[in-house]
Formats: sequence, structure tokens, C-alpha cells
Amino acid sequence: MSVNIWTIVMVAVFGLVAIGLYGLLIIRNLIKVVVALQIFAKGTILVMVAAGAMSGKPAVGQSLAITVLVADTVVTVMALALAIQVRRWSGTLDTREISKLRR
Amino acid sequence: MSPAVIDMSVTWLLPLTVFLPWVGAAAVLVAGRAGRTLRALAITFAVADAVLSILLIPQASSRTGFSLVLGGAFGELSFLPDGFGVYLAAVAAVIGCLAVIFSVDYMRGEEGQSRYYSLVLFFIGAMSGLVLSANLLMMVVFWEITALCSWALISFHNDDPKAVAGGIKALIVTGLGGAGLLAGALAIYAQIGSFDIPTFMEKAGGFPPQLLAWIGFAFLAAAAAKSAQFPFQTWLPDAMEAPTPISALIHAATMVNAGVYLLARFAPTFSPVPGWSLSVLLVGMVSAFLAASMATVANDLKRVLAWSTVSQLGFMVYAIGAGAVFQSQFHLLSHSVFKALLFLGAGAVIHSVGTRDMREMGGLARSMPLTCVAFLIGALALAGIPPLNGFWSKEMVLESGLASGPFWAYIVMLVTVGLTALYTLRAVWMVFFAPPVAQHAHEAGPAMKTALIPLAAGALVSWLLAGPFHDLFLRTLPLHFPEAHAEAAGMAATWTAALEVLSAPATWLAVGVVVVGALVWAGRSGFAWIGTRLRGLRRVAEAGYGFEAINHGISKAVEGTGEGLRVTQSGLVNWNVGAMVIAVIVLLGIVLLVGGLGG
Amino acid sequence: MWIQILVLGSTLVCALMAIRASRLLVSALWLAGCSAFLALSIALLGAPEVGVVELSVGAGLVTILFVFAISVAGEETVGVKSVVPRPLAWILMAVFAVLLAWLALPGLVASALPRDALPFLRALWVERSLDTVLQVALIFSGVLGSLGLLADRREVGRASRKAGEGAAP
Repeated sequence: MSVNIWTIVMVAVFGLVAIGLYGLLIIRNLIKVVVALQIFAKGTILVMVAAGAMSGKPAVGQSLAITVLVADTVVTVMALALAIQVRRWSGTLDTREISKLRR
Repeated sequence: MSPAVIDMSVTWLLPLTVFLPWVGAAAVLVAGRAGRTLRALAITFAVADAVLSILLIPQASSRTGFSLVLGGAFGELSFLPDGFGVYLAAVAAVIGCLAVIFSVDYMRGEEGQSRYYSLVLFFIGAMSGLVLSANLLMMVVFWEITALCSWALISFHNDDPKAVAGGIKALIVTGLGGAGLLAGALAIYAQIGSFDIPTFMEKAGGFPPQLLAWIGFAFLAAAAAKSAQFPFQTWLPDAMEAPTPISALIHAATMVNAGVYLLARFAPTFSPVPGWSLSVLLVGMVSAFLAASMATVANDLKRVLAWSTVSQLGFMVYAIGAGAVFQSQFHLLSHSVFKALLFLGAGAVIHSVGTRDMREMGGLARSMPLTCVAFLIGALALAGIPPLNGFWSKEMVLESGLASGPFWAYIVMLVTVGLTALYTLRAVWMVFFAPPVAQHAHEAGPAMKTALIPLAAGALVSWLLAGPFHDLFLRTLPLHFPEAHAEAAGMAATWTAALEVLSAPATWLAVGVVVVGALVWAGRSGFAWIGTRLRGLRRVAEAGYGFEAINHGISKAVEGTGEGLRVTQSGLVNWNVGAMVIAVIVLLGIVLLVGGLGG
Repeated sequence: MWIQILVLGSTLVCALMAIRASRLLVSALWLAGCSAFLALSIALLGAPEVGVVELSVGAGLVTILFVFAISVAGEETVGVKSVVPRPLAWILMAVFAVLLAWLALPGLVASALPRDALPFLRALWVERSLDTVLQVALIFSGVLGSLGLLADRREVGRASRKAGEGAAP
């Protein structure tokens, strides 16, 4: 397996995705959960660019990366708005507290 | 009529018989609130379907009459108007029509009438579809639709927790059986690539014996669950929470027959399987005896009739196990008539008195004369008194059982006949002739009478159809009766059969047992000491011989597992993400193991 | 290539620090840093337009959003003990990353196909114009949705009281 630039990029992608998911598993504060989601999405943007370049269609890869970026930003906006609402209505941002289902 | 004309009319008659009630169900739902329009619509569609199904009978043939290609693995929606199908469809439609007419009086003033009538019509169509279907997958679909209607109608008074519990119990038990039917159907598809029933029955000889045995027992389980046979008999008595016309239609005359129909239709295919016929016979025998003993100690009128249904179905299943398919179907016909009569009569009584407990009834012969006569006719048919239809068909069943089944099984059935007479007389006496407990009762309403009278007449004369009935079977069921006679014997065959029955010694033995049963009841004070000795047995019988306990245990286990697994559905985002990650890991692992992505 | 390694490594470090930070504001700032390094990396990989957008949106817009949200919702000390036990999370992620790497890395070669000479702008506005239109629609609906969610507290209270009395919306 030759270590070229793309291997490095893919390793970085896996790293970002893993860190983002780890954050989603660990974090209890809702706003920080959105931070972890953002990190996960950055991995996706990077992989779109890399895949486009590797398969010989860089332009398509890049426009897909832009799409992912925009969509993820909108998700962030909505998630933050929801987090603010949760804070207003139940007074806490702790995921354990706001889960209403009986355990 | 030339064959071409016959084919033409069967082609539209078949789907019309099945789907017209569905149109009626939709129309009734749209008609909305209770009122003349609603009832008129319901009665019109029910009567129309009854007429159509009777018109179908002369068209019976062994060829598939209607088929509509559905595409893909589903095969075709095809209907086969052979002997089993047309007569059961006619029974469903005619008794359905009478139940609808009866309901006009019975359900007067109740809430949700449009829901009621549309479900009944939906059910009638589905039942016709079930028995006429020639595609096994479509039969499963119709089977489940009837189970759905049964549940919805049992829980009709959905503010009554007992009704809701009864409905759920019925749904679960018959649903488990339906799973057996589906599994068998899928296995058949896997083997021959088609769901078509005639094709399957032709090619069944080529199945690996192990597979055929599995399918046979799966079908037996499905049939036993649907017909409330041992060990699935617990749901039928609890289903008596349904309004009584529903009990008459679904739980006496039609849906519970589906199991017997299934066994009868596939009997020649599975009888070579070692142990199948004997299992069928045993299931029937045990159900018949067990249920008869439970009917003897029940105090709820409908419960007595429910156990009696299980017992009589046991007779039919016993006959199939002994290889006597025609006799079992003939008894099915008689039973549908007299059981529906008994239930509708019971419905009239319950409606007027307001209770189902027989200990609170009594002396109703004076205040409800017509109902009393009708009920009495049904009871005599059930007990097997000549010349009512129950006598002839039961004797035929017993004879064939004696001829081709084990002798000890015959003795058990004979005892059951005696028990049948016992509990029937007990019920009749407690309801109509016992010293009256203070209550006010009125005669049945006009609609109820309109439904009761044809059924009573049927119980008196339906046995005369034995000859033509036999011809129908011979003509259209080549697999069941390979040595078909060339000429149709018609009514002459009835008299021959009747004479045969009357002259057989087994008949007189059975009549003797019935008389003994009646005498035991009459002289029951003398036998009271048996009652005290057997008190323990009576308690066991009242508790359902432990089956209720098993049932209860199973539902508690299921609920407990659900509670235990609830912790995984906590709504915590962290755990949800954790579950996703674990799932992805499992998927990646599978991909790696199976071959990995390309190099 | 070494520059790439350095830049990507910094990205990962910033991401990790963002997760581990205890204060929300600090976490948002680390996220901004992560975005900046990523934008640089993407630009070095030959996609300058995407890099510019990533820098302005990820490091600019999103950071401002976070700051706004944190100021409105307020800092809150949430328990440190995580719901999924930390060692379990470590193990899961390690397994996950290893599996991914095992599956994807060995077959990684740049394609031998001729490079498609489609310029980026043409791809964005012509070839994938539907994507772009949908993104615009998405942005509008996101703005409207968040405006609705963040309506003034007094109105929200009135609306909820009305909803409580009448049928559920």
C-alpha cells in the first residue's frame, strides 16, 4: 500500500468522523452535541473533495462538498434554535434530564 | 347451458361474490350515522351476496373460474369454485345475511353501528374469498383479514375491558396459527415456485418427505388455532364478549370453520405423511371430549355454546383424521345451521333478559314461545335427536370413525355424544323450563324472528341435501374422490344414505347413549353424590384444565420481556448514537467477512 | 505533502480539543480553528473555492451562531459523568476506525481515468444546478424555521397557553 497524499487525507477523514462520533457518544450538553455534529460533517466535506479528485471528476466532488456544507450549516442553525427552546422550556441542557421516557 | 356460457358467468360471479360485500362495507361506512339508510344498505348488500353465493352453487366445477395476474411472486388472484368453496361461501353469505337481519333488532340504539355493519360485510367478503381462493398466498391474506374483523368485532364494545382482552386473545392465538399457515405457504413456494393450490396438490408427491411433514403439521397448527381446537381452545369462550349475532356468524358458522376447511382441502395431500392423520384424529377427539366436559360445568349461556362449538368442530376434525372428508363437511353444514340457530336464539334471550348467566334465567318458555321452540329445535339437532340434521351428520361421522379409526377413539367420541346431550338439556332446562328467577322478559323482535325461522327450518330439513351435496363433491373434487361415479345420483342418494344410517347398529348405540345422557340429567338429584365426589374435577374443569394458566403465563412472559427491553428505548441521544455505531460496526464486520470491497 | 500532513494533523488536534473543552465558548473557538485548518487543507488539495466557502461559513458564520446560542441559553455546568461510559466509547470508536481503515485504505489509488476538465463554477451552476436550487430553498427554510423557533418569549407563552386550551395542533 503506497502512502500517497490521498491515504493521508482518508486517514484524516476517518479521524474526524471518529472524533465526531466519539463526541456524540460522550457529550451531555446539547450545544456541545452540535459541535460534535459539526466535526463529523467536516469529515464528510473533506471526503467529498477527496473522492472527486481521486475519481477524476473534481468539479462534481467539489459541488457536492458545497451541498453538504450548506445542508449541514442549516442543520446546525436549526439544532441550535431547538437547543435554545429546550433550555427555555425545561430549564436544562442535559441530555439525561430532558429525556422524558421512563428508564 | 353450453360450457362457454357457464364459464362466462362464473368468471364474474366469483369475484362479485367475494368483493360485493366489501363495496357494501365501504358504502355503509360512508352512510355514517345510524338510521334507516344504514340498515337498508347493510341488508341489501348482505341479501345480494347471499343470492349470488347460492347462484354460484350450480356453477361449481373443478377448474379455476377466475384469475387475475398480480405480478411477481404473488402469482394470481384466482378463485376455484369447487365443492368446498361454493358451499362454505354460501353458508357464510346466507348466515351472514341472517345475522345482519338479526342485528337490526339486536343492535338497536347502540353506538357505532356503521362500524359494526361495515365490519360484518367486510368479514363476509373475506370469508368467501378464503374458501374460494386457489392461490395459497391470497388465502393467507383473506385468513388474516377474517382474523382482523373477528378481533374488531369481539372488541366492538371497546370501553369494556373484558371485550378488549377477549379480542386481543383471539387475535394473538389465531395469529400464531396464521404464522404457521404462512410458513407452510412460503415453504411450498420455495419448493415449486408457485402458490397455486391445484398445482401444489398435484406435485405434492414429489416433495421431500421431511418438508411435506413440516408443512402438514404447520397447517394442522394453523387449523387448530383458527378452529379453537386443542391446544388452542382458550380463545373461543372469551370471544363470547362479542355481540351475539357476531358470535353466531363468526364463532359458530364461518370463521372457525376455516380451520376445518383447511384440513379437509389438504387432507389427500398430507394423509400419506406418517402420523398426520392420527394427530388430526387425536386433536379432534381431545377437543371434543374436553370441550364437552367444560360445557357441562359452565353457567354462562354463551360459554356453553362456545364450548359446544369447540366440541362439534372436534367431531369434524376427528372425521377428517379418520379419512371421512365428506362426512365431516356434511356435519359442518348441519353444525353451521343449528349452531347459528342456537346462538341467535340465545341472543334473543340475552337481549330480553339482560344477562348471560343461566342461573338468573328460567321459565322463559312461557314468555318467549317462538324463541323457545327455535332454540329447542337447535338443541335437539345438537344433541343428535332424529330426524333433525344434527342426528344424520353426527351418525355418519361416528360410523366412519368406527370404520377407519381406532376403536378407543370411537368410545371416547361416544361418551362425548352422551355429554353433549347432557349439557344441551341442562342449558335448555335452565333457560326455559326451570322455576323462574324474577325478571321481566319479552318475546324476540320481528327482525330476530325473521332470522330465527329460516334457520330452524334448515335444522329440520338440511339433511335432505345429503345426496346432492355428495354429488357436488364427487363432481368437483377429483383429488378427494378419485373413483367418481359417472352419473349424478341426486336425491335418491339421500334416501340410500338415510337408510344406511338408520340400519347401522352404531346409530342405535349412539342414540342409546343420547338417551342415557338425557336420563342422567332428568334424574340428576339421584346422581348428586357423583357431583360431590367429583368436586375437585369440576374445579379443574372450570379452570380450563390448566390451559388458561398456560395462556396467562405466556402473556406475562411476553409483557415481562417487553418491560425488560424498554431500557434500550430510553430516548437518550447518546445511547441512540451508540446503537447506530454498533450497527455500523456490525455491518462493516459482515462486509469484511463476506469478501470485502474490491482490492 | 508534509504541509498537508501538518495541516490535517492540526485539524484533528483542534477537533479533539473542541470535544474535551469544558466551557462551551472555548469549545466553539476550537471548532473555528478546526474549520480554518480544514479550509487551508482543502485549498491545498486543489479546491480553492470550497476552501473559501468552508472558511467563511465554518469559521465565521457557525462560530457566530454558537456564540449567539451560548449567550442566549447561558452556560450551564452539566455533569461530567457521560451517559455512555468513556472506556466503552473509546473501544467502539477504535474498532470503528480500524474497520473503516481496513476496508477502505488498501484499495486507494488515484483513478487512471483522464481528468474531467469541467471547471468548478460550471459544475455548480449548470451541471448540478438542481442541487444549488435546493440549497437555496434549504437556507430559506432554515432561516424561517429558526425565526419561528426563537420567537419572542411572551408570544411563545401566549401561543402555548392557547394551544393548551384548544385541540393539539
